[in-house]
This record gives sequence, structure tokens and C-alpha cells, in this order.
Amino acid sequence: MGCHACEVACKQEHGLGVGPRLVRVIEKSPDFIPVYCHHCAKAPCKEACPVEAISRNEQGIVLIDNDLCIGCRECIEACPFGAMQFDETQEIAVKCDLCIERLLDNKLPACMNVCPTGCIHFAEKKNIASVFEKTL
Amino acid sequence: MKEVKKVRTVCRSCHGGCGVIAHVKDGKVIKVEGDPESPISHGTMCAKGLSITQLAYHPDRILYPMKKTGKGWERISWDEALDTVAGKFNEVKERFGPEAIMIGQGTGRDFESHFSRFGNMLGTPNMLTAGHMCYLSRIGATLTTCGRHPAIDYVNNPKCIVMWGCNPLWTNPDEYKGVSFWRAYKKGARLIVIDPRKGFLAKRADLWLQVRPGTDAALAMGFHNVIIEEELYDAGFVSQYIHGWDAFVDRVRKDYPLNRVEEITWVKQELIRKAARLYATTKPAGIHWGVPTEQTINCTDFTRAAVGLMAATGNLDAPGGNVFHQPPGTRSISEFSSHRSLSNEQRLKRLGGEQYKLAARMTIVTPKCAWDAILTGEPYPLKAGYLVGTNPVVSRANAKEVYKALSKLDFLAVSDFFMTPTAELADIFLPAGTWLEQNHVADNWKFHGYVLARQKVVEIGECWQDHKIFMELGKRMGQQWWDTVEDSLDWMLEPTGLTWEEFKKKGYLRGEPKFYKYREKGFSTPTKKVELYSTILEGWGRDPLPKYTEIPESPVSRPDLTDKYPYILNSGLRTPTFFHSANRQLPWLREIRPDPIVEIHPYTATKHGIEEGDWVWLESPRGRAKERAKFNTGIDPRVIVAEHGWWFPEIKSPDHGWEISNINMLTDNSHESMDPVMGATSLRVLLCNISRCENE
Repeated sequence: MGCHACEVACKQEHGLGVGPRLVRVIEKSPDFIPVYCHHCAKAPCKEACPVEAISRNEQGIVLIDNDLCIGCRECIEACPFGAMQFDETQEIAVKCDLCIERLLDNKLPACMNVCPTGCIHFAEKKNIASVFEKTL
Repeated sequence: MKEVKKVRTVCRSCHGGCGVIAHVKDGKVIKVEGDPESPISHGTMCAKGLSITQLAYHPDRILYPMKKTGKGWERISWDEALDTVAGKFNEVKERFGPEAIMIGQGTGRDFESHFSRFGNMLGTPNMLTAGHMCYLSRIGATLTTCGRHPAIDYVNNPKCIVMWGCNPLWTNPDEYKGVSFWRAYKKGARLIVIDPRKGFLAKRADLWLQVRPGTDAALAMGFHNVIIEEELYDAGFVSQYIHGWDAFVDRVRKDYPLNRVEEITWVKQELIRKAARLYATTKPAGIHWGVPTEQTINCTDFTRAAVGLMAATGNLDAPGGNVFHQPPGTRSISEFSSHRSLSNEQRLKRLGGEQYKLAARMTIVTPKCAWDAILTGEPYPLKAGYLVGTNPVVSRANAKEVYKALSKLDFLAVSDFFMTPTAELADIFLPAGTWLEQNHVADNWKFHGYVLARQKVVEIGECWQDHKIFMELGKRMGQQWWDTVEDSLDWMLEPTGLTWEEFKKKGYLRGEPKFYKYREKGFSTPTKKVELYSTILEGWGRDPLPKYTEIPESPVSRPDLTDKYPYILNSGLRTPTFFHSANRQLPWLREIRPDPIVEIHPYTATKHGIEEGDWVWLESPRGRAKERAKFNTGIDPRVIVAEHGWWFPEIKSPDHGWEISNINMLTDNSHESMDPVMGATSLRVLLCNISRCENE
């Protein structure tokens, strides 16, 4: 509903300044459209990357390796959701990692954790539909 | 790697109350998270609170006391700063009396207790707050009507929620937060939304009433009409517990037939009927209302009529309705404030006290009376001031007058985080601590039944929490205070049997929930009943019954102005990123909302050749301001809704661009436009025109 708490929680968690927005809510009141990474099974960002800096781990989280990224922005062009972002200060692409360190700590992703309406969920493909059936 | 220490505290980036766990490393807060054990916020936090590290460690933050010299601002010691302020105040006090000193706060940083105590002991009745049109105004109106503020009881699951000019998911977090509303709503509560704009809640509502701004009091009377006509009221409650029901029924039946209410409010009769029925027949039902209902000439009357709805339907102090939450047993803010220290003689000198009697009872002054006194010297001149966490040049009506008045003071001290346009007018700047730098029994002035332990997480620069500034300044002027802030908190907590140190470990206290308390002791009003016919207002020579008064500057009352100013301007559109004039310098938040926004219907825009994203001029009979156009099809084409609170910290000249996009360049603070007993300013209805900015 456009409170943007997820955006700031994400920036705080990932130490990001102005520029890259790994999650973003576009306001078209009364509608609010979240823009976020879908961690696609066949990820266009991963396929576009010329140096194989983007990978998909066994949990299905699509990750980018900061050290390998050459800042060519091919992935940003390729992502159909606008979820790939560019960090001008580091001159590399950045993306949602589902707060992988928090997950390891048994904590929810930062965006999900602060959301007052509980509209953010993550789960495997086969489970996500049931999550939404329950909550919406 | 050094260890991260976690400190449990309470946010105050708005009216506050959300539980926070602050992560501290090397003496610095590196991160804040919501506290899942908080009874108020249940682990959630908003964009403002989450940005506190960007505020606390902002490069522009003023970390030391400063004095203004011929060469600009210069760093000084706390001793010099406090001695200067105390010296100046003593001088004014001797020559003109303590009433010539005004003290002022904005929405406050939870220092209301210390603020009022300081003012009372100083001997000045001239205390400015935002309360004339925000929160305190509803405390005043409910006090006169039913003895105490009845907040919605989300915990006990209202089956019907009336969201009246309010979006708690974004703002207005006085008692319960958006998350509490959302939980109650998701349990299946029916939702009635009353809002001139179609937003997230209106879209989901069972019924959305798109009211003409400022006419909420008429709409409430329309609800009453349906409830009376269809006999949907609680006959037992009404006969036993309402004072003046018959007179009220006469007023409603005679003056507020639904066709007239439709004409006033623009809401279709049938929709009013449906909404009134839904509210009156679904039990329990609660009303959650926001400041737009209060920021008009109808401030007190709307709240009184709304309390009437709660009472007539038997929802007052009923679980899941609107209830009088029991205080948690600490010393009340009123006792702490030591109102008795202010002599009757001084009390009678309160500016505007004779005219705005309810404001006077709430111990405040509507700002217009202060500006008048400074600029005209009538009834006596104000010579000096201390403004704490407030930026009236931007946030009060009729900005040009505010600026002129503050500039004319002989001496002004300001405490804040940044050099705001208001702070730039000061002689002394005192650096205040954020909520990360504060020990306090938080929320002690609210009506949700809790007090919360906000404990100091860090100290930054030489900043002091406001409470300490009041205390140390007061001591230098011969006032009796405790040695430390923590000692004052011990005294506040004393009746609970806890010390501050013990309370800190406990985290919060809650008053024992209890309902239908009136059955034992009646209501805390002169008649012990809900006074829909107010004996207090009658005693003041005012209309004892609620009514709707046409806004003095509306298309109805001023058709002569509508050629030049054809639109209704609703100023003060809230955003989830900014708190009034605060936060414009925080990168995370400014990225989300870089520009001041005015929402208009695309139809209106087309008429003026405006495209989405264009800079536009908004102009009223008093002045103009520039904002960026955003289209909203869920808004009446006759209405324009603009954000408030804008100045530009990035403009480094002392004005910081306060005139450019400040909606209060347009607003009116004339006495005729204000609520007659509370002095609430008319911020939600004035006439304006819109045009595209050329060369932008």
C-alpha cells in the first residue's frame, strides 16, 4: 500500500545508498505495484551475464558475485522486471539476494520483516500459490 | 570484529511508539529493526523509523550549541548557551513579565511532560503546540463530551471499522498503528472509508464515501439522522447516559435531513444511509478518525458528533468499539506538568484565552494569537521565545506572517537536529538528541493504555535529549527540577512501584483493560453523562449542540472568489516518508519522494494544459507555492490535494527555500477561519487555482 518500509529496510540491510533499489513500490493510487526480483528458474540476468557472475544456488536464489561483476549492465537490460539495479558507487550490478544471511540466521528477509500488511512472501514455486490463497 | 550489542528501545520518528531493537557497534548504531515483542508494532517498522541512522549521523546535523554572530553561526559551550538563554529570559521576565516569553513545540519528541512543566514554572501561559489542530484538539473535544478520549479498540476485533479521513498504514499513529488496524481488518471487519481521495483503503472498503473536504461534521450529522429515523440507536444507553438527546434529535431532524447533507457533503443520500446502517447495526464497531476532520472551523463539532455516534450506537467503552483505555498507573502528564505552578493571574493572561476557551483549557495558545501579539504588541508584546523541535515557518498556516513574527522577536532560542528555516531565525541553537539518544517513559500522554521504555542507545556529539535541556535551563532560572532526567522518570514511575532502571528492563506497562466503566461511575463530565448537549460549551456562551458550519473560504461561502480560485485546496497530504517538515535531508527517503507532490484529477490537469510530472503553481488569495503534479483519478476534479512541510535542506542559504514549495504560503490563519473554541486552523479547505510553471 505504498508505505515503502520494505525499500528502506532493504537499503539498510544491504548498506545501499541512493540509486539501486532492489525492491521498489510504484505508486499509482489506489494501486501500488511492487517491483522485485522473481528469482526466475531460467533467469535472463544469469543468461545475459558475459562473465558468469550470476548464479542460482540450490535453494533457487539467484545471486550475483560482486567480485566477478564487470559492470557491463547486460543483466539490467535483460531483466524483464526491472529488478536488476546498478550501484554507481561500486560500479557493479546489484540484486536481491533474499537476505541470504538473514535466512541462514532463521530470520525473514528484511523487506518481509517490516511489512505491516504482510503482503511480501517467499516460498518455492509449488508452495507460493497456497500462501497467497491463505492470505489474500 | 567487535561484537554487535542489541538495545531494546522505542521509536519516535513520528508520534512514535513502535518497538525497536537497535544494533550498536563501536559505539555507533549501525542498524535498527522492529521489536517482535512490541505490543504496539509487533515487529514492524516504517520507512521513517528505519532511516533513523541516516538522521542521527547526518553530516549536516548540528552536534554542538551555537550562537549567531555577525559572522554567522559559531560553536559555543553548553554553559554559555544556557547562560545566554536564561539571562535573556530573566531580562524579559523582569521588564515585561514571564508572559512575554513564548515556548513552542511541534508534534514533539515525547517531551510534552517536561515542556509544560518548564513553561508553567517559568510562569508563561503562552505555550504553542500543534495541538490546536492535531490530537490535543480531539482530546479537548472528547473531554468536554465524554470525559476522556475514546480510542478505537483494535485488540478486541471491531466487526466494522469506520476509517474517517485517515490512513493508519501511512500516518496518524497516535494510538494503535497500521498493523493493528490491518490485523482487525483481516479478521473480516467490514470497512467504511470516508476520504476525498480513493486510496488503498477506499479501494478495499465495503463503502467509500467521497466527502467534500471539510464537511465531515455534516456527514456525521447525516449518519445520526439515519440512526434516529430508523431507530438504530441503543435506546437504553441513550436514555440513561446521554445528556441532551432530545435537543440533539431536534437539531439533527430539523437541520440535517439527508438531502441537505448530500448537498453539503457531495455524498449521495443512499450511500450515507447504507454507511450509517452498516455502522449502527454491526457490533462492535469502531471509528478511527484523522486530523483532516479537525483542521477546519468544525474541529470540535465534528469530534463531538463522532463521539455521539459511538454513544448512540452503544459502542462507547464497549470492547471492539471506541474505548477509554485504562492508564498504566504512572504519574499523569498533567500532574508532571505541574499546571498548578502557573498562577491564576498568569493563566488569565493566556493569549487568546478568552476567545479560544477549549485551547486554554488544554493549556495552549493557537499560534495566530502569538503572531498577533508579536506583530501588533496587543494585548501585550511577546519579546522572546524558545522553540523546541518545531519548524513553524514551514508547518504553520500563513507562513509569511509566521516568518515576519519570528523575525521580530528580540530573542529566540531553538533546539533541533538541523538548521531549519526556523532555526536560522534564532540567536541560540541547542542541539537536541534523537530518540536513539533519549531516556523516557514514552507515550505517557497517549490514550492507548501503555507506557513504553525508550532507553538511550548512544550519545552523539554534544547533543542532549530535550528533557535535559528543559531541566538544565530551568535550574539556571531558579526552577525546582531533579538532578538527572532519570530521577525525573523515577518520580513519574513512582506510583507503579518501579524505578526507571526496573522499568527499562520490563519494556512496557499496560493499564488493566476494563470496559463499560461508566456503569459504575458515569462519564467524567459535569452531568456524568455523554454531553451531546455540552454544559461546558453552553457555559462559555457557545452552541451546546454539534453542528456543521460552512467553511469561510469555500465555493459555497465565497462564490465571488471562484472565478479566480475555482478549486478546493486540501493541504497537508501526508506521506509515509516524511513527518511534517522533517526528513527532507535523508537520502533513503528523499529518493522515494524527491519532490513536493500535488494530486489532481487528470481532467483538471487537461483543462490547464498540465501533464503528469509538470511543476505547477498553486495559488490562493494569500500566496503561491510550486509542487509537482501527480494524477489521481480517485479524486474529485473540483479538489486539489497538496503535500505540506516542504523546504529544501540542500539549498544552503539561510532561507533553505522555505517560500518555494511551502503550502502554508497559501493557507489562512484569520480568526474568522478557525474553530471558535479550539483555534484549529483551516488547512483542509481553501480556494485555489492551478497553472503550469513556465520554464521548468
